Parts: sequence; C-alpha cells; structure tokens
Amino acid sequence: MNETSFQLEDLWACFQGIVPAALSTCAADGTPNITFISQIHYVDSAHVAISFQFFNKTHRNIRENPFACAVALDPRTFHAYRFRLRFDHSESTGPLFEAMSLQLQAVASYSGMTDVFRLLAADVYEVLGVERLEGFTRLPTPNTSERSSRLFVDAGLVSLRLIAERLNKALLLDEVLESSLQLLEEQFGFQHSIILLADDQNAKLLTIASHGYPENGVGSEVGMGEGLIGMVARARRTLYLSAMDHGLRYARAVRDRAEAEGRTEAIAREIPLPGLPDAGSQIAVPLVTRGRLIGVLAVESKDPLAFLTRENTLLTTIGSHLATAIDQLSRETDEAPMERTGRQAPRSPSQSGSTRRFTFFQKDDCICVDGDYLIRNIPARILWRLLKQYRDEGRVEFTNRELRMDSWLGLPEVKDNLETRLILLRRRLEQKCPDVRLVQRSRGRFALETDRAIDLCEKEG
Amino acid sequence: MIPDSIVHLLQTGVSVMVGTRDASLMPECTRAWGIQVGADRESVTLFLSEAIGGKTLENLRNNGKIAVTCTRPTDHITCQLKGQVRSIKPATSANREMSRRWHREFRAELSAIGVPSTLSEAWIIEPTVAVQISVSDVFDQTPGPGAGKKIGQ
Repeated sequence: MNETSFQLEDLWACFQGIVPAALSTCAADGTPNITFISQIHYVDSAHVAISFQFFNKTHRNIRENPFACAVALDPRTFHAYRFRLRFDHSESTGPLFEAMSLQLQAVASYSGMTDVFRLLAADVYEVLGVERLEGFTRLPTPNTSERSSRLFVDAGLVSLRLIAERLNKALLLDEVLESSLQLLEEQFGFQHSIILLADDQNAKLLTIASHGYPENGVGSEVGMGEGLIGMVARARRTLYLSAMDHGLRYARAVRDRAEAEGRTEAIAREIPLPGLPDAGSQIAVPLVTRGRLIGVLAVESKDPLAFLTRENTLLTTIGSHLATAIDQLSRETDEAPMERTGRQAPRSPSQSGSTRRFTFFQKDDCICVDGDYLIRNIPARILWRLLKQYRDEGRVEFTNRELRMDSWLGLPEVKDNLETRLILLRRRLEQKCPDVRLVQRSRGRFALETDRAIDLCEKEG
Repeated sequence: MIPDSIVHLLQTGVSVMVGTRDASLMPECTRAWGIQVGADRESVTLFLSEAIGGKTLENLRNNGKIAVTCTRPTDHITCQLKGQVRSIKPATSANREMSRRWHREFRAELSAIGVPSTLSEAWIIEPTVAVQISVSDVFDQTPGPGAGKKIGQ
C-alpha cells in the first residue's frame, strides 16, 4: 500500500470532522478497543490531535500502550486512509486546546449540553505512517491540486496574526514600541528598524524607538519630505528601495564622517538617525490611523532584495496595527493603581564617586549632561523639573497628571503627547546617562532612579 | 446474549469498524462490509475483504481478539462488541447477498444525512471472508457521558 507516501496536508479534507473516523487502541492485557471519533485535528505535518472528553477505554489504553490506529474518510470521494499513531502528550491549556474546546462548546451549545460536552484535553499523537486503503472505492482520488490553501496558512500570515495580537494586548506605549520592533526580528528576521513619530507643529519626524543599532538614536529628527522616511510620511504610502543606490550610501557616509570629526556646535546638538552604513535596501511604512499620520516605521537590511511586494504588504499591515496602538496608548494616560511588582526602593546616590552634571541652557531650551548634548524642548523641561524636585525635595515618584498641571513645561492643552515625550526622555537617558533612569511604575506613574550624585546648573546662553 | 436493543440496532444500516491487534499489541483498524447477528444471539458474523483488511485478518488468525463498533449515522446510536473469533471462512453467496442487503440499508442511512449516493455506491463491497465472533461483552457507545457502559448479560 502507500505507506507514508502522503503528507498530512494532502489529507486536509479528512481533518474537517465531516465524517466520523474510527480509532483503535489496545490495552496492556491485549484486549483491543475501537471507537468512533468525531474529528481528527491536524496539528502540524507530523502530529494530529484527538479530543478527550470523557474518561474512557481509549484514554486508559493509550497510557498503557501508546500506539493507536485510525481510519478516516475523505468526505469528497470516501477514500479511506489509515493512520498509524503514537500518543505523544496531552494539552489542557494553550492555543490548540482552546481552539478545540471552543469548537466543542459551540457545538454543545446548540443542544444545551455545554456542561456535558467539555473538552478535558487535546490528546496529541505523532503520525508514524499513513496509507490509503486500496480497493475501497471505484472513484478516482481527488487531485492533490485540490489541496485547500484555505487550511494551511502562510507562515507570514501566522506571524502577522501573532504581531497583531501582541500589539492589541499591550497596555503601555513603551511596550508597543519595543515589542513591535523585537517581533519584526523574531518573526521576519528584520534586524534593523526604527519608529519615528510625527511632530506636526514642527513638520518633523522624531525617532522614538529603534532596534538593532549600536546607538538607539532616539530623539533624532527627519524633516517631512526629506529622504525615504520623510517622503513616505508626506505621501502616506509604503515605499521600498531595493539595491540601494551607491550615491545614497555615499551621502550617508559623508554625513557620518562629518558628525564624527566635525563636532561643530550645530552637529553636536543633533542626534544622528540610526542607519546601517552598508544598507542594501530600505523600506518605510507610514503609520496612519483614521486618516491621520502618526509616524513612520522604517526597516533596513544589508540584503539588497530584502524588501519586495510581500514584505511591503506584511509591513504595511503591521503599520496599521502599530499606528492604532500608538495613537490609542498616547491618549490614554489615566493613572493606573500602583503596581507592587518591579517597585524598588530608590537607590542611594553616591554609590559611585563621580557626580553627574546636568546643565540647562535656557536660550537653546536644552540640557547637556557632562558637556554632551542630551535633549531639548519639552522633554528637557520635564527632566529639569524632575531633577530639581529630586534635588530640592528628595522626590522620586512622579505622575503624568502633575506634569500636565505644570504650565512651565509648555505642554499643549490638547494632544500633549506626554507619554511619547517621556519615552523619548527615558531612551535618551539610557543612551547618554544610564545611571539616571526614568522607570515606569504603571500607566501614568514613574520613578526617577539615580546611581550617582547629581549636580544641576542653569545657564542663559 | 446480545440484548434486543443491540440486535435491532445491528439489523439496520450501521457503520461497522473493526479493531484488532498483533502479537506486539500494535492496534489495527479497518471497515467491515456488514454485520449479521447469529441465531444463537451469542455471536455475530462480519464480512471483510482481504484488500482493505489484510492485517486485520492476519491478526484474527493469530490471536482472535476483536473489538467491533457499530454506529447508526442518523441518530448516532452506537455500541461496541468485544469477543473472540470462532471461525474465518471464505464468503459464501449467502454472505455476499447479506452484505449487499446491509449496503442498501447503510446507503439509505447515509443519504438521509445528506451524503451523495454517488459516494456510497462507489464502494467496492466484495467481501472475501466471513468472520464469526463469540461476543463476550457489549458496551453502550452512544456519544455522551454514558459511553463505555457495559450493557445486557
């Protein structure tokens, strides 16, 4: 017969529960048992699952003797297939169990039997072999081209679903930003990515998160219409550049060199945009929700053909989820109750000998730490307020609400993007001054942690 | 004695599946082309074909242990019989006629639940052997919490 000459995927029609299958097992004392089962569930190319609803002979037998044999019919032609199985394990939590359980409950609810039909476990069997029973029917076998693409989902789509679910679950903006870039690497292997947020007032895009670069580049700016990212923001359409032009790389290299060696005041106060010096391709996706531009997701790769139509579609879809998540979590800044977990007593300063000197330049509206540019504008004022209250009153816990009440910070009354500004500040500190940290306690609450003594100095110019 | 209710069930167009095992307790499963309750009501005869039940027949010749489950598609009334083989004989014309009668009943059951008749009519119902079994146990296997309960006797 045709032992093991089938892929389970070819037998997709047998796994739809349209015709009951039969399952035989054998007790340790040699007594065979046979029962009808409503459905054999496809798990993966080497496993199937069978529902375990009642403590019965099958359940006992496979724990004594793990082998089983099932015969199932293809509902299209009634060809019969024999599956040689070995019980592998039982699942009573997780996606497989939940999907099977929900299906069973839905069926049971039609008959008002939800208490009777309850899935106790999904019993997973390894498939040792499959054969077709020849001489069973006169009908020709269905063409394997009839294999339904609707049943076996493209891996990219599975990843897409996973990312959408994670973005949908996230409760904090920071979590959305961090996990989305992390997931792009885990699921698609995109190792270098950044998220920029639109700053409508200044017609700029501001880097808020990055992944896979030596410097996080948070706070770096791109003008609307400037470069691939700026153009995509303006056009609100995804665009990718394959086999990136030599000229583009050359321009970037020149700028990097100028930054490295020039150190003019103008450049020193500008944060470089994260970028690969040898990028082969780039893609930028506009983050738009309800017709409003939230920002841009930019991914680059050394592979000149890393981004094609498929990646465009996947990343654009992720972009919509990301835009909605960022927009929603930037608005919702209500304080949540204090969380006990992750709460640490403020560390005592002066653990390390040296002192961090923060200088606030009033005219430039910016802060330098130990002479290096740190941050400017509203995030700079926020930090200055926190540092002063820490120095003068010894305060370490703060709320978003009190920042909103402080008119000196100059937060707009509507759509203040406070959460985004705090993330920007947090990331800049991580980059430039890791021994002073803003630690999120819960939504709308955070703490200032310091490992060193702090010195504050204000200058007009 | 096979209880009346089960005798009546087995006289209708039930789906018949057979479970056996080999010397190393490896289970085997195949479909039978019909079942007939013996006049003694202690036995049943199954109609099997070598083509789809070769391993099953080998197991039965070697150790004789068998489980049979029968379900009626229109109402899911199901039973399981367990027992030991009494005899394995080439199918007679009477056996084949019995098998054809069962097939008509089974086809009627299947069309009642919406299965296109072209599917059930295309089955190659050509039993080559008649296997007589001494039934030692009868179990209720209608889906539900009572499934697995021994009945009669």
